[in-house]
Amino acid sequence: MTIHDDERLGALNRREFLRQCACAAAGGAAFASTFGQLQLASAALPAGDAFDDYRALVCVFLFGGNDSANMFVPMDTTAYDTYATSRQNLAVPRANLQSVNATNVTESYGFHPNCGEMRSLFSNGNLAVLSNVGTLLQPTTRQEYLDRNANLPPQLFSHNDQTAFWQALRKSSGRKSGWSGRMADSLANRIPSAEQQFAMNISLFGTNLLQTGATSVPYNVSSRGVTSLRGMTGRNAREDRRKKAFDALLDASRTSSDPFIREFGAVQRRARDSVERIGAALDALTPLTTTFPTSRLGEQLDMVSRLIQIRSTLGVRRQVFFVGMGGYDTHGAQATRQPELLGDLSTSLNAFYAATVELGLEDNVVTFTNSEFGRTLTSNGDGSDHGWGGHQVIMGGSVDGGKLFGTFPTLEIGGPDDTRGGRLIPTTSADQYGATIARWFGVPDGDLNSIFPNLNNFTTRNLGFLG
Amino acid sequence: MSEPPLTPPTSSGPSTREGSTREGPTRDARSAAGSLASGLLAAGSAVGAAGCGGGSSGGGGGGGVVAPADAPTEPVAPAVTTQEEAGRFLHQASFGPTQEEINEVMSGGYDAWLFRNYGEERSTHLPQLDSVSTSSDRIAAWWNNVVNGRDQLRQRMAFALSQIFVVSETDLSGSARAFGLASYYDMLSEHALGSYRELLEAVTLHPMMGEYLSMVRNEKPDAAKNIRPDENYAREVMQLFTIGLVVLNEDGTVQGGGNGTPTYDQEVIEGFAHVFTGWNYAGSPTWKSSHRDYINPMEPNEDFHDTGAKNLLAGTTLPAGRTAREDLADALDLLANHPNVPPFICEQLIKRLVTSNPTPGYVRRVAQVFKSDERGERGNLGAVARAILLDPEARTGHQSISNFGKLKEPLVRIANIWRAFDARAANGRYFFSSPERELGQAPLRAPSVFNFFSPTFEQPGELADAGIVSPEFQILTESNLVGTTNRLNTIALTDYEGAPNRRLEAVLIQISRERALAHQPGNLVAHLNRLMMSGRMTTTMRNTLIELLDDTPFGDDGTERVIEAIYIIATSPEFAIQA
Repeated sequence: MTIHDDERLGALNRREFLRQCACAAAGGAAFASTFGQLQLASAALPAGDAFDDYRALVCVFLFGGNDSANMFVPMDTTAYDTYATSRQNLAVPRANLQSVNATNVTESYGFHPNCGEMRSLFSNGNLAVLSNVGTLLQPTTRQEYLDRNANLPPQLFSHNDQTAFWQALRKSSGRKSGWSGRMADSLANRIPSAEQQFAMNISLFGTNLLQTGATSVPYNVSSRGVTSLRGMTGRNAREDRRKKAFDALLDASRTSSDPFIREFGAVQRRARDSVERIGAALDALTPLTTTFPTSRLGEQLDMVSRLIQIRSTLGVRRQVFFVGMGGYDTHGAQATRQPELLGDLSTSLNAFYAATVELGLEDNVVTFTNSEFGRTLTSNGDGSDHGWGGHQVIMGGSVDGGKLFGTFPTLEIGGPDDTRGGRLIPTTSADQYGATIARWFGVPDGDLNSIFPNLNNFTTRNLGFLG
Repeated sequence: MSEPPLTPPTSSGPSTREGSTREGPTRDARSAAGSLASGLLAAGSAVGAAGCGGGSSGGGGGGGVVAPADAPTEPVAPAVTTQEEAGRFLHQASFGPTQEEINEVMSGGYDAWLFRNYGEERSTHLPQLDSVSTSSDRIAAWWNNVVNGRDQLRQRMAFALSQIFVVSETDLSGSARAFGLASYYDMLSEHALGSYRELLEAVTLHPMMGEYLSMVRNEKPDAAKNIRPDENYAREVMQLFTIGLVVLNEDGTVQGGGNGTPTYDQEVIEGFAHVFTGWNYAGSPTWKSSHRDYINPMEPNEDFHDTGAKNLLAGTTLPAGRTAREDLADALDLLANHPNVPPFICEQLIKRLVTSNPTPGYVRRVAQVFKSDERGERGNLGAVARAILLDPEARTGHQSISNFGKLKEPLVRIANIWRAFDARAANGRYFFSSPERELGQAPLRAPSVFNFFSPTFEQPGELADAGIVSPEFQILTESNLVGTTNRLNTIALTDYEGAPNRRLEAVLIQISRERALAHQPGNLVAHLNRLMMSGRMTTTMRNTLIELLDDTPFGDDGTERVIEAIYIIATSPEFAIQA
């Protein structure tokens, strides 16, 4: 039923789009349509429904499956001992953990030794932990799982399938879209086109399902920014001739009988047009004093901070950025690889938070992690294998930080949260997680069920970490 | 004219040659293939190669015989009548047409080209490296092989396999591993036209795969410490290298439709994880020695192999008490003989070479050749390649199927240009060492075991709306496309034969043949259309180019007209798509 809802939403937006295109006029419309903001005349908006503020989301996807059982660890004696017994040679020594006191629970916890910056953000109230969240169609018990009687997302423990589910939240095949793409489709009807001239969804880590909508098209940019097309800057007659021919073929591709040729032309036109608009704005920026780590993640978040800086040039009220980091699939050498990964994550998040403070936008930007699954509590000798539920962090001035949300699992092999081998059954769903974020972003409650197709199967619609 | 034998040899090719030697001997293709067949079959293969008594249906080995309905049906090569047809074929079968190979296919036909390729000396990486080589030398060797190798079919297949059986330098870094990765790619090319079962074993035991999917030094369980075998290779060998996630029909469609029936579950993965225990670097004196052989196949150490019984697929149980090699052989046989393998592997290869949206009938015809070639052998990848390329859909699908064809991979786009214009550097090297930064793709540098792009990706927007699969579009981001376009600027407009002030390592396109046509824009465009685009250029594009060339002064020897035309073609939407 929820899927039908969603398809109706997509169809509705397309009809709406076609209707409004017919009467669409000038201004930023040409630019906007290049970038797939396929909405809306402002006249169609109910008064008072438009946003008067700027908000941005940053999804940090930890590819490979973060072993988050080592990122946030129980420190009370009994709970720590259970953790250590289950994890054996993967366990982080208790003395090395960075302890914190979550203000809403009595148990004590510690961050991984390399997550000192995350601990500070947590203690200062700007970062929250959501524990044991994962892919679910509905609340699922251990007994249902063991009896093979559970209604489960397809292909648990598989990287690409679980990544796809986190982003799409769909069991069924059919039209492929992600929740942020559907969110952009939905919000397109609520923001006047003049105030959302550029794609809402921007990826710095390549094409992804999360940001794919039914009508909205995400934009991809490199962490190095936007490079101009060399030799077509119109410096001389020769470059003019070249650009004229280049542009003529791009225009001709619109009417090609080959759908691949049409689509290639569309991407090349977006690339060409973004150079002119974004490239110049980025070049003109005064750099922030905040410095970022030189890691791939640090560079992406650095570029996100710049793209936020040029928001008025882009003419946007709402933005969702997708950044990513690989290497979390620690089947081997986890003892050396995990500290590097988590250290990079912690310092990069910290730098990005500092940048939002410098911009005066820390209350307007929410950064959150995703990862396709947690990992087995048990060891395979020197690493861990694919699990299910895991912990995620949410960062920003608007976050109700310093708190632990969700239900912290029992880290016992064969315990109440274990399927087998320490693969934990999530107690909070990715739908609930996303819906809580989308609500803060401005999606009305009535639209959440179509964007988050499994949400209605859970009692709690708002997990509370954003108030 | 007698027909060539329909079944190519299950061959690993003759001895390799030094990558630097570019002029291969010109031999009679058919006799080369014939002698090769007997020679290699005598050498034998683990899959019972000498089984010439195959084809139990007795369908006959000769050409022109109509096989019984249930017999494997390898295609009969159609005649080649135009340069355009030859060019289309070479776009699918190689890293791009050259005028010489267009002429070869025109005069000898498809099968003569294929059979020359089966017998051609293999271009490899390792002999091109020396003690001081680094990862960028590995990439330079790859360019040399794909631009100059006479064994184009083998190289194109190896490239396809390198994106199915993925290992990546992203997680295998360092100069020493550059040799391991070179050897891994050479292993793929060795088996690229040979037996799938042998390929699967070579992949499984290669130390680079051992490291990448953490099978090397994977130990038997230790229950007291909650330690169980590593599941990494066990999972991915099934999901990606052999059978895939769901039960398939022989035509590649999902059996029962919808999400389908899973081919395995977590318990099966754990069974295979126990199989893949006890393997170490070749010659490792102890289990955890610092010795690491990155080239030779891994070797078993029985002390660390689990000897319990193992429950595998479809109720098959391997008995207890067997060696690592015995378990491995049976487990790989079980996988390789699974009915999912032919459609799962063949559909991916079709997508790599010919079209992103093959019809189920096309997949089924190729899968049948995979199941059993004319000699009754399963998994003959040389025969599979031929079946893919000579299928009626490959040869004429562009005339009748609206979503036929594919976006060229960015590395293939570049190789197309360098091959068409015989590009080379004064220092003999192909210096383009980090193409992933500009193009989003480089050999053996995928971001994960799921490769640069998924075979089922659908580009959001018009293509996804129409349900058109478009794998290569997954890396056609705006930034990668600008990077590719700018690289083509260098290749066409800066680095050409006779260009001023070029460095020794600049790879220069050779354009004297084109300069001679430059005074007649129409002739130049017609020539470039045949050479670069298999004659597919639309009238609009031709007119745009002729207008550009008419406006371009003919002040020099024609160079400016030639390179501007090459650049505009190379960056055009029409050139980017292979139909």
